[in-house]
Amino acid sequence: MAAPGPGAGGGRRFATGLIVSGSVVLALAVLAAALAPLLSQWGPTEIDPAGTLAPPGGDHLLGTDVNGMDVWSRVLHAARVDLGIVVAAVALAVLFGSALGLVAGYLGGWLDDLLMRLLDIFQAFPMFIMALVVAALLGGGTINLVIVIALVNAPAYARLVRAEARSVRELPFVEASVTSGSGTLAVLWRHVLPNSLTPVRVIAPLNCGWAMLTLAGLSFLGLGVPVPTAEWGAMISLGASDVVAGRWWTSVPPGLFLLASVLGFSLLGEGLQERAATGGPASSGVGR
Amino acid sequence: MTPLLSIENLSVVIHRSDPGDSGRQIAALSNVSLDVNAGEVVGLVGESGGGKSMVARSIVGLLPPGSRATGRVLFAARPGAGEQVDVLTMDRAALAGHRGRGAALCFQNPRGALSPTRTAGRQLTDRLTTHQGMALGRAREAARELFEQVGIRDPGRRLDAYPHELSGGMAQRVMISLATGCAPGLLIADEPTTGLDVTLAREILRQLRHAADTDRRGVLLISHDLASVAEVCDRVVVLYAGAVVETGPAGRVLRTPAHPYTRTLVASVPQVDGHPVVATPGGMPLLARAPTACPFAPRCGHADDTCRTQHPATTEWGAGWQVACYHPQAENLAGNLAGSPATQAGGARTATQAGPAGPRPPAGPAAPVPAAVPRTVLSVEDAHVVYRSRFGGGGHHALRGVSLQVAAGETVGVVGESGCGKSTLARLVLGLVRPAAGRVTLAGHDLSRIRGRRLRRLRIRAQLVFQDPIGSLSPRRTAADAIAEPLRAQGVPAAERAGRVAAALARMGLDESILPRRPHELSGGQAQRVGIARALVGGPDLVVFDEPTSALDVTVQAQILQVVAELTGDESRGRVFISHDLATVRGFCDRVVVLYLGRVVEEGPVAEVFSNPRHPYTRALLSSVPSLGAGFAGPRLELVRDLEEADAATGCPLAARCPLVTDRCRAEPQELVGYGASRAACWRVPEMPELLRGGGAGA
Repeated sequence: MAAPGPGAGGGRRFATGLIVSGSVVLALAVLAAALAPLLSQWGPTEIDPAGTLAPPGGDHLLGTDVNGMDVWSRVLHAARVDLGIVVAAVALAVLFGSALGLVAGYLGGWLDDLLMRLLDIFQAFPMFIMALVVAALLGGGTINLVIVIALVNAPAYARLVRAEARSVRELPFVEASVTSGSGTLAVLWRHVLPNSLTPVRVIAPLNCGWAMLTLAGLSFLGLGVPVPTAEWGAMISLGASDVVAGRWWTSVPPGLFLLASVLGFSLLGEGLQERAATGGPASSGVGR
Repeated sequence: MTPLLSIENLSVVIHRSDPGDSGRQIAALSNVSLDVNAGEVVGLVGESGGGKSMVARSIVGLLPPGSRATGRVLFAARPGAGEQVDVLTMDRAALAGHRGRGAALCFQNPRGALSPTRTAGRQLTDRLTTHQGMALGRAREAARELFEQVGIRDPGRRLDAYPHELSGGMAQRVMISLATGCAPGLLIADEPTTGLDVTLAREILRQLRHAADTDRRGVLLISHDLASVAEVCDRVVVLYAGAVVETGPAGRVLRTPAHPYTRTLVASVPQVDGHPVVATPGGMPLLARAPTACPFAPRCGHADDTCRTQHPATTEWGAGWQVACYHPQAENLAGNLAGSPATQAGGARTATQAGPAGPRPPAGPAAPVPAAVPRTVLSVEDAHVVYRSRFGGGGHHALRGVSLQVAAGETVGVVGESGCGKSTLARLVLGLVRPAAGRVTLAGHDLSRIRGRRLRRLRIRAQLVFQDPIGSLSPRRTAADAIAEPLRAQGVPAAERAGRVAAALARMGLDESILPRRPHELSGGQAQRVGIARALVGGPDLVVFDEPTSALDVTVQAQILQVVAELTGDESRGRVFISHDLATVRGFCDRVVVLYLGRVVEEGPVAEVFSNPRHPYTRALLSSVPSLGAGFAGPRLELVRDLEEADAATGCPLAARCPLVTDRCRAEPQELVGYGASRAACWRVPEMPELLRGGGAGA
């Protein structure tokens, strides 16, 4: 075995640093989401009759927006919506994409060809067009947003897991399982799947970051969550025009929260990637 | 005369800086001293982890990061001039010059060491233009000559070949030409023949010997193949746990070793003459600091309290022969094997059960196919296997009409060079590939006809033991899980499984503490025992061993061979033992089948085929096997060229390589012809004894 040098040891320490800092940032975001009602006295869609576009200070920590809703409260409550949608969507994408990739990669043959060509067609459509189509077919709403984002991201997992499964199925332990008389499902579930998920574990957190930006983008275009719901992308969209008038507080706080969350996911993902690159078998035991 | 290379008291300590095991250190080498003279081939032997590669790396200044070397590695840049430079103190520029022209390294895995995106010729001319300052045109001409020197067929064409277009042997030859290209004083070959077939390995070793004899280079040959070292090397250095335990004239040290470790190594090597293998339990320790006691003491039968408390100094044992041991052994090794403590330590286990003159009844005189009295568990009839290429027609014809019968209680050896269809035969028997033509009958059912659930049921009747013990276990599953898999597939209830797993484990001599471990926590020997336990747990009718020892160290190999030998006493199932190493087959197989390019070229009782083979191919294989003992006794034959796939097209597939070839061989495909209890696919079988006695043999 090639001995990992001091660079490798440094690499592992660097990876741990990334993972810890990413986790801390995300933990703060989750905390904000969980404690949102406790941290602010206003409801996220509660309108303060006393004033719209009030500057920060006084009753409203971060002021109010054009509808007279409390920005601080909305920013905190939006964490629930954004994190929830993104995690649900990526989980769905992983589930669906991995299953598809596993079957295509392990069984191969015409089924593989068929599934992959369908994915090609699917991926040929620009994401926002597809979001429009889905929105038109299923209507708007949070659930549909989850489905759209999941659909957009699933093909990547399908390809990733397919490539892994194709190489894993050639390994001796898979053959050992087949010769032991195990059925295809048992082989897939017990041997091929667990050994094909390593890259997924690395990509999924990174993907959460991208998904969050996708969600913000969709919301910015008006394809996001229904109107009064607090959501960072929608808030930025709403407050964008205020910036010109010098009213920064309606769009900058949601922007910073969005930035921090994406950064948290990225740090975590990069850290896992770094660890996978430098670590030996010890790191492959992370999670199941 | 000053030696070309003299290593003096070299110690290497590697510090690991992982956060997990900070402060952990490994004493890779402890006080190693050795010399290599110009024109001399010195062998460096020992098991993996012993520090062989670390010696090679320190000579070219390529120690892994985090390591600290003390001592001196003196190299005579111009032999005869008397001045020596210490490699350990060289700066970057000096090292760069030293690596190309002073000492060159030949790697173990030639395909990995050749850059895949540059042609073989280009990689050689690059070196020549950099180190020798040649113009490109001259470099190309020189490269062609170098290729020719190392025996590459059609060198002009191979210059423009990419590494993936070269066979393993060809790649190793290119590697040697790369190493010798810049006329280095010292050539270091790190396991150059590992993974090569016997015929090819012999040729590669001859190239190295040639480099020492004609070009007056020093050669340091690192190998775990003791027999080859004994044949090729002038002197040998034996390493154990980073320390030199014995050094001296190669032939004498390896035939009558004095150090108990060297004796253990030698006794672990299977021999073609049927010499029994003796296994020594235990494994090599990884030391954190230079040993203060004899590192071999825990495994040694002669160890006493002195050995366990003091490190033995090197003492003179004979002319140029030194041993680091308090109790060097003088008796002849072979005569003393039966009573050696190693066997006693192995408990009630005997050495291999059936030698050439074993207690087995000889097969019936006119019965090449065994009678059905013991039930036939496997029958392969005229099977063809073709691997189709995905795009377009054609494909690789891996088996071209193979027939094979295995009865319960019988062990059949399958041998041949790589690419001859051995592994395909295993896959066929296990139902992993379907025959394009022919029939495979396993436990009375036609394997090629059934599918789905019934195929799965039938698969349990035949089990495979894999070549790569760790790779055949899923990295995310425990040993217990792996062994229980066939039972789970059969639907055995969980409660019953645990008991049967424990029983299988006990049969392998393994402790239950390994059950919760994952493959990376197992040693190679343990992993292979887990693999054998998995194969046996479901009570199969047939067990196929596909090169089960070729990935293991010599002493571990002996341990596994002993386990396999014990299984040969089992009358309820048949066994197929596949190997490219003829010596391992010799020990415990009843019959042997020799494959060549997808055809059976010879088959029969082991004793008959191994002592007097009638097919030139078998004879050539046996002749090439290096041996520490008497080796192959009969007249020897040598094949003239490397194996090429295209040879299988018309006539006898061996025609292009056979020294006894005639026009008839080139024209006609060969049928199996009977002799004694055996058969060989050569029309010259009847006249073979005379042919060999005459001048026909190219020995």
